[in-house]
Amino acid sequence: MSWNFQEIQETIRREAAQIADLKDLEAFRVKYLGRKGLVQDIYASLATLPHEQRPVVGKGANDLKNDVSSIVEERTKAIKARQARDPGEDIDVTTPGVTVPPGHRHILTQTVDDICGMFERLGFVVQEGPEIETEFNNFTALNIPVDHPSRDAFDTFYLELPDPDRPGRYQLLRSHTSPAQIRVMQKYQPPFGVIVPGRVYRPDAVDASHSFMFHQIEGLLVNEDVKFSDLKGLLTVFCRRFFGEKIKMRFRPHFFPFTEPSAEVDISCYICDGKGCSVCRRKGWLEIMGCGMVHPKVFVAAGYPAGKYTGLAFGLGVERIAMLKHGIQDIRLFFENDVRFLEQF
Amino acid sequence: MKISLNWLKDYVTVGVSAEKLAHKLTMAGFEVEKITTVDADTVFELEITPNRPDCLNMRGMAREVAAILNTRLKPVKMPGVKFPSRPCDIKILDKKGCPRYLGTFIRGAAVADAPEWIKRRLCSVGSRSINNVVDITNFCLMETGQPLHAFDYDKLCGGRIIVRRAQEGETITTIDGVERKLDPSILIIADEKRPVAIAGVIGGKDTEVTQETKNILLESAYFDPILIRQAGRRLGVSSESSYRFERGVDYDAVGAGADRAVRLVLDCAGGIVAGRCDIRAIGKRPKSAVIVLNIKKANNFLGISLAPSRYKKILRQLGFQAAGGKKDTLRLRPPAFRSDLKEEVDVVEEVARVIGYDNLPVSLPAVPAASIVSETRRGFRQAVRELLLAQGVNETITYAMVSEKSLVQARQGHLGGVRIQNPLASDQGVLRPSLLPSLLSVVAFNINRGQKNLKLFEAGKIYTASGEREALGVVLAGRQEDDWREGRKGAFDFYDIKGVVEQTLARTCGQEIRIAASPCSFLVPGQGVSVAVGGVVAGFLGKVDGGVLEAWDIKQKNVFFAQIDLEELRSFFGKERTYRPISEFPAIVRDVSLAVGKDVSFQQVCATAFRLGRGILHAVKFSGEYRGEKIPAGNRGIVFSLRYKSDERTLREEEVNEVHEKIVRALVSELGAIQR
Repeated sequence: MSWNFQEIQETIRREAAQIADLKDLEAFRVKYLGRKGLVQDIYASLATLPHEQRPVVGKGANDLKNDVSSIVEERTKAIKARQARDPGEDIDVTTPGVTVPPGHRHILTQTVDDICGMFERLGFVVQEGPEIETEFNNFTALNIPVDHPSRDAFDTFYLELPDPDRPGRYQLLRSHTSPAQIRVMQKYQPPFGVIVPGRVYRPDAVDASHSFMFHQIEGLLVNEDVKFSDLKGLLTVFCRRFFGEKIKMRFRPHFFPFTEPSAEVDISCYICDGKGCSVCRRKGWLEIMGCGMVHPKVFVAAGYPAGKYTGLAFGLGVERIAMLKHGIQDIRLFFENDVRFLEQF
Repeated sequence: MKISLNWLKDYVTVGVSAEKLAHKLTMAGFEVEKITTVDADTVFELEITPNRPDCLNMRGMAREVAAILNTRLKPVKMPGVKFPSRPCDIKILDKKGCPRYLGTFIRGAAVADAPEWIKRRLCSVGSRSINNVVDITNFCLMETGQPLHAFDYDKLCGGRIIVRRAQEGETITTIDGVERKLDPSILIIADEKRPVAIAGVIGGKDTEVTQETKNILLESAYFDPILIRQAGRRLGVSSESSYRFERGVDYDAVGAGADRAVRLVLDCAGGIVAGRCDIRAIGKRPKSAVIVLNIKKANNFLGISLAPSRYKKILRQLGFQAAGGKKDTLRLRPPAFRSDLKEEVDVVEEVARVIGYDNLPVSLPAVPAASIVSETRRGFRQAVRELLLAQGVNETITYAMVSEKSLVQARQGHLGGVRIQNPLASDQGVLRPSLLPSLLSVVAFNINRGQKNLKLFEAGKIYTASGEREALGVVLAGRQEDDWREGRKGAFDFYDIKGVVEQTLARTCGQEIRIAASPCSFLVPGQGVSVAVGGVVAGFLGKVDGGVLEAWDIKQKNVFFAQIDLEELRSFFGKERTYRPISEFPAIVRDVSLAVGKDVSFQQVCATAFRLGRGILHAVKFSGEYRGEKIPAGNRGIVFSLRYKSDERTLREEEVNEVHEKIVRALVSELGAIQR
């Protein structure tokens, strides 16, 4: 009978590493140190061995006994110490971890922050204006004629707050963010680029795609030689970054009183890739913003010298963008604040 | 507006496919929203922008197509018959509302079916055929853009036409069979006795042209766009006529439109012109002013280098009179039907549009480093928002309008708000002076859908007569559900809302926050407090009164609300913070356990301690509160620790003991505390 002590030591080390509790440890002890354990077997075999081998094997058995004993002693201590710390040793590790889950930023806020952030990185500065505005800032200064339908009570909310500058007239809830342009221009001299997020109001009956309160973001860049090509370039960069590099774009002539030339920006529908679907109403294109070169009359109304500056301006509806981007079908969801909606974003 | 391709081809050479034309039109500012095929014809549905009433007809669109495709307009054969002027009995009482009215009296026409070619044209653009006379008026409207109306002359009482405002109480049954109430804001066409048409909007049933009609009065007029728009909106009627009148028809083309129709009536239905009367409040309008276009400037603005001859050609196709001016300039007179063209930049847009924006170059603007500083209002709001989110509070956005009733129910009626003159609905009549009604509605909405445990905020606006203010509203309802461990879940209480608000304000404002009992009618007595930050009272918080909750049908009792005026605190935000060296000297902590009377607050305990702390008392930390047998009735037990520290040296045991004992003695003697 010969004993390979090296192999035995390795086995012991391996088994010791797998001991999880006191029960395992006892089995381990019995296996090696018990009355019928390995160490006893080795001692028993000594009588059958040649004399010259006996001291070597005897020493090996002693070493084994010492090693196993010290392992048992050490692990007993460790396991007991662990049990003392955590008496309910059997915790269910699959029950949920505990923290205060962070709240959810409203998806409209996220969309506003994303868009403004992109323009800020391009050098624009965020400015905000008040929701309660004057007819001058909301219409007149923006080259919207006195008889324009948007001034009717059908299209603008008027308040029971007298207009300090125009006796007999009343202040209103801004129907777009553009009056903030006027405020910026009255306060600062070009050159500048500003981006204006904000809430706006129009007396539209509420349905899946209309709301009497919604959000817009408006951009304005004024300098001495801003060109139409700058408008195209700037908005192309924005749309690519925001909607993806693959989208196609087109600038379609349109009409706004405060820009000339004016355009609407369409992007290829990313639902159907421009083939035509229900989201783009079979057009293959999605209308996402209005833009144009600032009308010279707007500069005059803002008090800038005639002909000195040119500028570009654009505006977009935040709800529409968020609805397109996230597949939200009903604008009312934004304002109902069902937590099952809020917590999806 | 619908246009038929076959019809269009009567006036212009097209020479490209329908798809190509649709694309070209879209890219020139006439978005083709839909293409359909009707019999062997292609019909486009176009969006015409409000500045282009001249394109609300086939001839106008043909002119655009000629410019866009660079092809030719076909001459229209219109026999230039001059109709002699003979008196008709027409009187205009409102010359501002109707500056021009041309009536033609046709005697002895035979009303019958319209000829096939007219029927086909009308059918292609979705107009129903009635009879030859009515169809001709519709055909001419579509062709020339001039709305026309035909009356059965024999049904006009007294054979008269009077253009006037309606009187209060007058009614008319219109051709769609609806009886409509009129008022003086509405311009009407009347006969001797009664209204016979709502001017520019819709005709009357009694005087419409039928198979029995023999004699016709054909109206071609110019009505004031605003009056027509207002009448249409007031009555809820929109017609092909009103659509064009409210955008503005060509004053000078009123006659041409009438002549075209009269010619067709005589051809198709026979009869003779027995009277013709053109009443104008103003004569021929002055020619439009000359616009000087600087080619170099225009080319630079668009980033192109187009030759002056090309500019000239495009603009002439659009109806401009163009002549070369001084070097690099063109002298241009816009056509009469384009009242939207007033200055140089308008002309530049016309050229850009015809070339196509897609064919213009792209560049990136240099965005100048602006001298504009970003507003702290937004930064403060964002910082507040982030802190609330970090505490597990969800952001909401609610409508700014509430009902007066809800304000009263929330016991905020005294705050007023700002009334809206023309609210969309009576429950949206006021701009809110408080966020409480809005947030309670969100709580009720969610509870009704089974979500009972809510942590919500809104950083929104509130409104008063002096303007709008930025405010924070926070609401907690139900219980903390994020921690399932024993003893750590429970209904929200006062300390939850207080903690959320304190953390948010302390972090953003870096100021001491003090709360003081402040009874509010909408908060439970004893659990409503005011919040002051850095000495500025900025809002309140507490438990919402059950009576208020009842108005929202909220059954659960644990609803807590806070509102903070962020405008008041903005100046505290964004201050640079200076580093204070971390003290190397150890702190000495002493625990204190006291029984205090109900009227003694922890704030008072702190104030006393700091007063006597001799600069070495660093912090007071509250660690527990209890009531029970061991505490005298009417008292409560509080446990807290006092932390003594110096930034300059290690404190001696004896000096701490001395201060500490003094503090404890004062708490006993001054506040009546019992040491335990």
